[in-house]
Amino acid sequence: MLNYVWISLLAIGILTAVGKDVADEFSNPYRNGRAVEIAIEDARPLSADRTSWEATLSLKAEAFSAFYGVSAPTEAVRTPVRIILREEGKRLVLTPVEGTPELWKKMSTLGMTKGQLGGTLTSVRADAGVPVGAAVEFEAIRFVKLRAVTQAALDFANTAVEISLGLIGIMALWLGLIKVAEAAGFVTLLTKALRPITTRLFPDVPHDHPAVGAMIMNISANMLGLSNAATPMGLKAMEELNKLNPKAGTATNAMCTFLAINTGGLILIPATAIAVRAAAGSANPGIIIGTSIVGAGLATIAGVLAAKFFQRLRMFRVED
Amino acid sequence: MTEFFRSILNVISVIAIPGLIVVFLGWGFVKKVKVYEVFVEGAKEGFNTAIRIIPYLVAMLFAIGIFRASGAMDVLVAILSPVTELIGMPAEALPMAFMRPLSGSGSLGLMTEIMKTHGADSFLGVLVSTMYGSTETTFYVLAVYFGAVNIKNTRHALPAGLVADFFGMAGALIVCRILFGV
Repeated sequence: MLNYVWISLLAIGILTAVGKDVADEFSNPYRNGRAVEIAIEDARPLSADRTSWEATLSLKAEAFSAFYGVSAPTEAVRTPVRIILREEGKRLVLTPVEGTPELWKKMSTLGMTKGQLGGTLTSVRADAGVPVGAAVEFEAIRFVKLRAVTQAALDFANTAVEISLGLIGIMALWLGLIKVAEAAGFVTLLTKALRPITTRLFPDVPHDHPAVGAMIMNISANMLGLSNAATPMGLKAMEELNKLNPKAGTATNAMCTFLAINTGGLILIPATAIAVRAAAGSANPGIIIGTSIVGAGLATIAGVLAAKFFQRLRMFRVED
Repeated sequence: MTEFFRSILNVISVIAIPGLIVVFLGWGFVKKVKVYEVFVEGAKEGFNTAIRIIPYLVAMLFAIGIFRASGAMDVLVAILSPVTELIGMPAEALPMAFMRPLSGSGSLGLMTEIMKTHGADSFLGVLVSTMYGSTETTFYVLAVYFGAVNIKNTRHALPAGLVADFFGMAGALIVCRILFGV
């Protein structure tokens, strides 16, 4: 199952990216290869030989929207640019500021140099040696989605390693503490108290097995929102469950039920969501506590029932 | 009532970790466990477990990263929103329902963005934050937990997790419509 979902995620992602880039080739939203007439205002020479200028690009709102085929910006476009008029080429460099149109801001992040949008100038008009107008063809922007997909693949691979390495410290801390608690008999006490529930949820696991204690600790830590402690306890539980696994590399029923509880994510205080709500200026950030408990409670119950139902299906049976 | 409940849980979340450390180690000490030696013995496993997870998490996250960056989510939402609107799911909240099981950071971003544009106390704001709190990042949990024990054939864990996600999202929608619906 995971095989199919994984390959589908990849295939859908790459096909969509190719599709969007091909569609962009036809609709040409960035107007590659086409020039737009602009006015150059307040040009101030930056060099004594008057080949580079600090200036303001000015374009009427209607002209901008007609050229790009987008809804008009409310005001005329005015944005600072640098004009370079040399023998080897007449160029324009646009560094976006507050008032720059969104489209150009976006294009500046996709072009050759990040944070700058370059363009080639043709038919430059000058008044007493000072440039006052030109036609500009911005640098071509292509394969936006494919480049984004490539970047994402590399970034997320890195993130995965960072997350895993970041676990080392807290893993060691909690596994150490759990080992002491086990040796002291604390975990056995816990499993005895919750035996009526755990034997029903995990009939294949002996009621006094260390896995049961680890699972109880993981679920309680999750409910209290102690995710730092919950993950090491959960992984400890998986290791203990794996000791009961007759077939290495294949999940057992107990593991799937345990993960269904975990993915249901029953939590008494959804701290992250509350923090984001508070930051967004909510008058009552905690209002979602009750609704989240209902949602997550439903998710957990449905997950456990689904796991119990699916484990009987032939397609998920363990082959010998 | 909620305030009282919240302050109790706040206290718990502050004292839980130091409390557990004291209880575990103190109990062990009383029971004459060689606490230091046993602690170190257990902690040794931490490194190996974390390293074992890496390939599983790389496989999972880079696929999700490609899916997210491609804009496939927008296409999916455009196709499905007419259907889901029939059961009262606002089109703006639909990306959240798909993103929540896939990516924790992605759904956090969506939640923040929706609250910025529609307001934290609007129906949409309450709905997406409830959705965020109503389930876990299934794909991440599967990769980490199964990765830690080198399990490649995950059998019915993913379908069960997705059923849980579906009911979490549907439950969030229903309870929000009943309590805050318009």
